[in-house]
Amino acid sequence: MTLSLAPDSRLRRALGSEHLAGWAFALPAVALIVIFGIVPIVWSAVMSFQANDLVSAPHWVGVANYRALLHDPAFAASVRHTLLYTVIFVPLSVAGAMLVAWALNRKLHGVRFYRLAVFVPVVTSTVATGIIFLWLLDPVFGLVNFFLSKLGIPAQGFLSNPNQALYCIVAMTIWGWLGFDVIIYLAALQGVPHELIEAAEIDGAGKWSSFRSVVLPFLRPATLFLVVWSTISALQLFDEIYVTTRGGPLGSTTVVVFYLYQQAFQFFNGGYAAAIAYVLFLAILVITIIQLKVGGRRIYSNT
Amino acid sequence: MATPTLIGADRPLDFEALPDKRPRHWPFSPWHLFLIPLSAAMLLPLVWSVITSLETSADAQRFPPVLLPSSLHFENYVHAWNSLPFGHFFLNSFLYAAATVAGNLLFCSLAAYAFARLRFFGSNLVFVLLLVTLMVPFQVVIIPTFLIVRKLGLIDSVGGLIVPNLCGVFGIFLLRQFFLSLPVQLEEAARIDGASRLAILFKIVLPLSAPVLATLAIIQFMWSWNDFLWPLIIITTPQHAPLQLGLSMFQGSHVTQWNLLMAGTVMSQIPMLAVFLFAQRWFIQSIAYTGIKQ
Amino acid sequence: MADVSFQDVTKQFAEGTLAVKGLSLAIPDGEFMILVGPSGCGKTTALRLVAGLETATSGTITIAGRAVTHLSPRDRDIAMVFQNYALYPHMSVQRNLAFGLRQRHVPRDEVERRVAAMSAMLGLDELLRRRPAQLSGGQRQRVAMGRALVREPKAFLLDEPLSNLDAKLRVQMRAELKRIHQRLNITTIYVTHDQVEAMTLGDRLAVISGGELQQVGTPQDVYEHPANVFVAHFIGSPPMNLLRATASAGRAQAGDLSVELAHVPDGPCVLGIRPESLSLMAPDDPRPSLDFDIEVVEPLGGELLAHGFVNGRLASPDASEETPLFTGDSESRAEVTVKLDGRLRLKAGERVRLAVHAGEVYAFDAASGAALIG
Repeated sequence: MTLSLAPDSRLRRALGSEHLAGWAFALPAVALIVIFGIVPIVWSAVMSFQANDLVSAPHWVGVANYRALLHDPAFAASVRHTLLYTVIFVPLSVAGAMLVAWALNRKLHGVRFYRLAVFVPVVTSTVATGIIFLWLLDPVFGLVNFFLSKLGIPAQGFLSNPNQALYCIVAMTIWGWLGFDVIIYLAALQGVPHELIEAAEIDGAGKWSSFRSVVLPFLRPATLFLVVWSTISALQLFDEIYVTTRGGPLGSTTVVVFYLYQQAFQFFNGGYAAAIAYVLFLAILVITIIQLKVGGRRIYSNT
Repeated sequence: MATPTLIGADRPLDFEALPDKRPRHWPFSPWHLFLIPLSAAMLLPLVWSVITSLETSADAQRFPPVLLPSSLHFENYVHAWNSLPFGHFFLNSFLYAAATVAGNLLFCSLAAYAFARLRFFGSNLVFVLLLVTLMVPFQVVIIPTFLIVRKLGLIDSVGGLIVPNLCGVFGIFLLRQFFLSLPVQLEEAARIDGASRLAILFKIVLPLSAPVLATLAIIQFMWSWNDFLWPLIIITTPQHAPLQLGLSMFQGSHVTQWNLLMAGTVMSQIPMLAVFLFAQRWFIQSIAYTGIKQ
Repeated sequence: MADVSFQDVTKQFAEGTLAVKGLSLAIPDGEFMILVGPSGCGKTTALRLVAGLETATSGTITIAGRAVTHLSPRDRDIAMVFQNYALYPHMSVQRNLAFGLRQRHVPRDEVERRVAAMSAMLGLDELLRRRPAQLSGGQRQRVAMGRALVREPKAFLLDEPLSNLDAKLRVQMRAELKRIHQRLNITTIYVTHDQVEAMTLGDRLAVISGGELQQVGTPQDVYEHPANVFVAHFIGSPPMNLLRATASAGRAQAGDLSVELAHVPDGPCVLGIRPESLSLMAPDDPRPSLDFDIEVVEPLGGELLAHGFVNGRLASPDASEETPLFTGDSESRAEVTVKLDGRLRLKAGERVRLAVHAGEVYAFDAASGAALIG
C-alpha cells in the first residue's frame, strides 16, 4: 500500500512521525495487557465490593466482604499457615542456597555433576514435584519411612499428619527451588574478586568472619533479590498444596491462595475471593517495600 | 518485581571456579563430604520415581520397598499413556508453550522497540502503567480474567490458555532494557540507508538481540510448559488439558497405582528435562539473567 | 548530486540546549564543505539536521532545491559516514554495502553490479565475505564510506570519520577522501574538529562556535582573513598569539611592541600575530620588534617551535558578552609561541629579539572580537 502524497504535506508528516509508528508498534501489546491485565485489576477491585457468584448479575455489598474476612476463622488460619510457611521457607532456602553455591563455586572432581543434580529440579514441574514427594513421603510404602525405619525411627504420617504436613511442603518446595537460588548466587559470586574469595577460603580461625565481612557484602544484592522474590512466591504458594494435600489434613495446609481458589472456583464467592486477592496484594506490597527498605539500606551502608 | 539486570546477558556465565584447596593430608576435598549427600538427596526423588515406574504394582506396594526391581516393566508407560489422552496433553502443552513464546517474542519486541526508541504520545504514561501491572500478583486478576475468557468463548480450550498469555509486561521490560543498550548509530545508519522502522527492528535490532530473545523464549517456554493454576481454572475436558493439568487429572484417577502414576510423571517430565540437558548452559544463563522462575 | 542549503536554521533540543542558532549556509553542487569547530559547537547537530536524524526547530533545509526540513532520512537521498562507522555487525561487508540498495528495492543484478564497482574502487574485494569485527580500523572506515557511496546519494555526509584512526592511516585516508571526491564530484559535508583536516580537505570551511556560524570561505581565505578573533585563533597550528593592546593615533602598543595600524580606532584592541609571522631580528631590521624569553624549544626538523614569554598580556579567544576578551589573569608577561627556522640553535633561557613580518599583524575589536580591517 503506497500513498502518493506530496513529500512535505502535513498528512505525510504526521504519518511519518514517530507518534504513529510508536503506537502502531505498541498497540498489540498494550491492547493485550489492557484487556488481560489492567481491566482485570480494576474489575477485581470493583468485584471485592460486590457479591458475585460468577454467573448471575453481581450486586453491591460495600465493604461487607472485607468485614467478613476479618471475622473468618478459616481465612485467619490460612494467613497463619501462609506466614508460617514463608517464615520457614525463605530463610532456609536462601541460606541453604548460599552455602550450596559457595560449595559449587570451585574446581572439584565431579562438580559439573553436582551442579546438574542441584539444577535439575528447577525444570521439574510443581505438579510432578508434588506427586513424587507424595510417593516418597507415603506413610505406608514411602521410601523416607523406610530410611527412618533403618535408623530405628517409627513410621511418620508426613503429609497426612496435620502437625507435619506444612513442614513437608517446605522441604518439597526447597527441593524444587534450591537450584534457582543457587544459580543466582553462582552468578553473583562471579562478581566477587578472586583474591577476596580465596582470602575467605584460607583455613584458620578467621574463615567465617572473613567470609562475612568480605564476601557477604558482595552477595547482598543477590540475597535481597532472592529474599524478596522467595517471599512473594511463598505468599502465593498453591500448586504443591493442590497436588499433595488439597489444604488438608484438617485444613493444616490451607494457605491463602488455596483458600482464594476454593472461594472463587469451588464455592463461587467471586466477590469474597477478590477481597482475599486484594488483601494478599496489599500484604505482598507492604512486605516487599519493607524488605527493600531494610535490605536496601543495608546494601547502601556497606558499600 | 523482577530485577532483570543482575548480570549482563552479553557476559557468558562460566562459573569461574576456585581452585580446589584441601588440607595436605586429605586424600580428597572435604567438600565432597557435603556435596555427595546433597546430590544424592537432590537426585533421589527423580531416581526413585523412575525405579517405581518400572516396577509391578505389587512390588511398588510393598514395605520395605523393593529398591531394585527384578524385572523392568516398561509396559507401565504404555498403560499410563493409554489410560488418559497423554498425546493430547503433550500436544496442548506444546501449542500453549509455542504460541505464547511466539506471541511474546513478536508483541514484546514491537512494544519494547517503541518504548525504547520512539517518542510517541503518552508513551511514558503507558509504560508506567505497564510497570504497575508487573507488581500485581496473578491471583488478583484471575477471576476477572476467567470471566473475560469465558465471554470470549475460550473456556475449556487451548485458545483460552494462550490468549491471555500472548504478551507479558516482563518481556517488554526485559527487551526494552536490552534494546536501549544497543548503539543507536546502527539504527541511524539504517534509517539513512532507507530502512523503515519495521525493517530496522527486524533486520538490525532483532538479529543483534539473539541472547535476550533466547532468554525470553526459554523463560516463557518454562513458564507455559509448567503452568498449572490457569489451566486448572479454565480447562475441564481432558482432551484440552495441557501436560501439568493432565498429570494432575491422571493422579486423581490412579491414586494408589504408584507404578503407573510414576510412569506418567516421569513421562511428563522427559521433554523438558531433555531440553534442559541439551541446552543447560542457555537455561542457566537465562535464569541468572532474569532471576525468574514461575 | 545536488546543492544543500541551510536557511536560518535553529535547533533547540527538548531539554533546552540551543545547539544551532540561525545557521544560513549554501553549499553548491559538488563542493567539499567542512564544518569545523571545537567539540560541542553544534557542527554535528548541523550535519544531523541535513541527514534528517534531527528535525530543525525553525528554518529550512533544502537538498537539490527541495525543502527537506521535515522529511525522514530515507526520503532525503543522502548518505552518511558515522564517527564509529556504525557498520552492521551481523552482516558481511557485502551485505553492509548492499543493505541500502536492497531497502530501496534496487534490482538484484544492479545491486551486485554497484557493490562490485564500489568494492573495486575502495579495494574491498578480498573483504566482502568478512564481518566488521574481522576488519582493521582502516578497513572498517573504507567499508563505511563504500556503504554510503554505493547508493550514489545526492549528498555525502561525514561525521569526524577519521578520528578513530591512528595518525598514519589518517593521513592516508585524507588523501583517499580527496581522491574519491575528485572522482565522484559529489556534494560533501564533512564535520571535524581537526583544523588540519579542515584546511587540507575542504573546498571551503564553515567555522562554527557556540552554535553560530563564524565565517565561511576557502581555507586560504579563512586563514589569511579571519573574520574574528575566534576564527583567527582556531584556524592555524599552532594557534595565533593574541595580545592585549592599546591604540592611539594609528599605532597600537602591546608590551614593548609597537606597530603602525592606521585603521584601528583609539582605545583597547587585540593584536594577533601568527607564530610563523615572527622571525629573529637582523641587526638593522626596521620592522617592529619585541623581546622574547625562550622557555622551551621544540625542533621539528625544518622548523622549530619556541615557547616563551614577551612583555604584555594575553587576550582570550572566546569573545562573548559575558566573557569579554580582556579577562583572566593580569600578568604582565604573556606566553607566546614562535615558529622559526629549524637551523637556528636556540637554547632555553636565552633572550632574543623578534621582528614581526610587515602586514601580518591582525587587529580585533576588544569588545566584539571582530576583525578590524584596514
